Amino acid sequence: MSQKIKEYVQKLLAEGKIKGFFGLREEHGHIMPHLFCDPKELDHLSLGDWKKSGDTRYPLNQLMIRLTIEYPEETFAVLVRGCDERGLKELFKWKQLKEDKVILIGIGCPDELAKACECEKPFPDSLIDGPKGEKADSQKVARIEAMDLDTRLQFWKAEFDRCIKCFGCRNVCPMCFCNECSLEEDQLVNTGEIPPANPTFHLARAIHMVGRCIDCGLCEEACPADIPLRTLYKKVAEIISKEFGYKTGFSVDEKSPFNIIEVK
Amino acid sequence: MEFKTVLSFCPYCGCGCGLLLEVLDGKIVGTLPSKTSPVNQGKLCVKGWTVHEFVTSPNRLTKPMVRKGDALQESSWDEALNLAATRLKEIKEKYGPDSIGVLTSAKCTNEENYVLQKFTRAAIGTNNIDHCARL
Amino acid sequence: MTFLKRLLEFSGIHPERLRTRWVSSAEAVEFVHEVSEFVENIKKLGPNPLKVKAKEAA
Repeated sequence: MSQKIKEYVQKLLAEGKIKGFFGLREEHGHIMPHLFCDPKELDHLSLGDWKKSGDTRYPLNQLMIRLTIEYPEETFAVLVRGCDERGLKELFKWKQLKEDKVILIGIGCPDELAKACECEKPFPDSLIDGPKGEKADSQKVARIEAMDLDTRLQFWKAEFDRCIKCFGCRNVCPMCFCNECSLEEDQLVNTGEIPPANPTFHLARAIHMVGRCIDCGLCEEACPADIPLRTLYKKVAEIISKEFGYKTGFSVDEKSPFNIIEVK
Repeated sequence: MEFKTVLSFCPYCGCGCGLLLEVLDGKIVGTLPSKTSPVNQGKLCVKGWTVHEFVTSPNRLTKPMVRKGDALQESSWDEALNLAATRLKEIKEKYGPDSIGVLTSAKCTNEENYVLQKFTRAAIGTNNIDHCARL
Repeated sequence: MTFLKRLLEFSGIHPERLRTRWVSSAEAVEFVHEVSEFVENIKKLGPNPLKVKAKEAA
């Protein structure tokens, strides 16, 4: 799969269409994000499959936003899976990135990854290489819904009790771009309190994920306490889809119910 | 324009979590956990996540400082080191070596910690050495 | 509100513990009725499970 991607990006660089390509680089057995500006560097291109499919994914969109702030006139290409493209569609609407300054290099996710992620759509529209996987069935949310109210509360309280407030979930999230995060507001979240207010802290984050979470799973992967954050945010997306008919990252025009007010 | 991530290790506790420093045009601007490091497997604690903040913090000392009266004033390495050595010697002679205690840190390298304990035990002559991890 | 109730329900908190109603300062009777009814409902649902857990932990 990487050969086709490599050639595609090499052509973009050679034609001067992009300043650089946000992808992953493999070096001495480690995989890390990299901005490829020189086509020769692409010999070390990795697509994020280290020991298992998609196990070394990183929030490339987040890095691109950072670069765009410093270099607003440049065009970049970025490696995207189904989830990353959902993220970009929302980021364009949130005016964090400009659609005409981003070229999507899409790869499809194999079945095993799609199932592990319970992904709604494991391939981007801008697909260059890889399979067009099928929507995977969701079981994580169903498992919680099978519990009665008291058991659910016990379950979540036990999970949130392990939280060490590392902010990993928020830091790694490709959709979190707020300069001032309410979770760091002294008057809302007490400093020096571990675990943070249970369950308010995590429910507050869940609320902020409305119309924002693209179900990439990086939050759960970054949690040192293995809290099933993704399941919580999947439920958030389900509520918004059912009650408001909005699915995050599926449209370039439609705004989320929390974001309809246009600020010029 | 150059953006890359550089594999490094957390300078805080003894775990040695692998992290990636985001470097934009030669300046450290962010931190990401390394997913390929066996120690932390893509996870970090709040100290690891904020490693990039202290590197470029304006609060970092850039010159040796000596307290003169109530205020800290910039001085030279010679003046600062001479003052420290002289006063430690005076205190050791007047009150004995056990009146001096040394606190080291997980943020120091193994080599720095070795030198510090050697200094405490051999040069000063006391066992009063401890480490922030024990507090 | 719809969203919050569903989220609370998913987290194990009864959605009826959350209610919102706009009442004008001229609608004293409605206000009393609303609050009394809410208090009755909450009494039926029992003590706040979050507070109970906190007491048990302490």
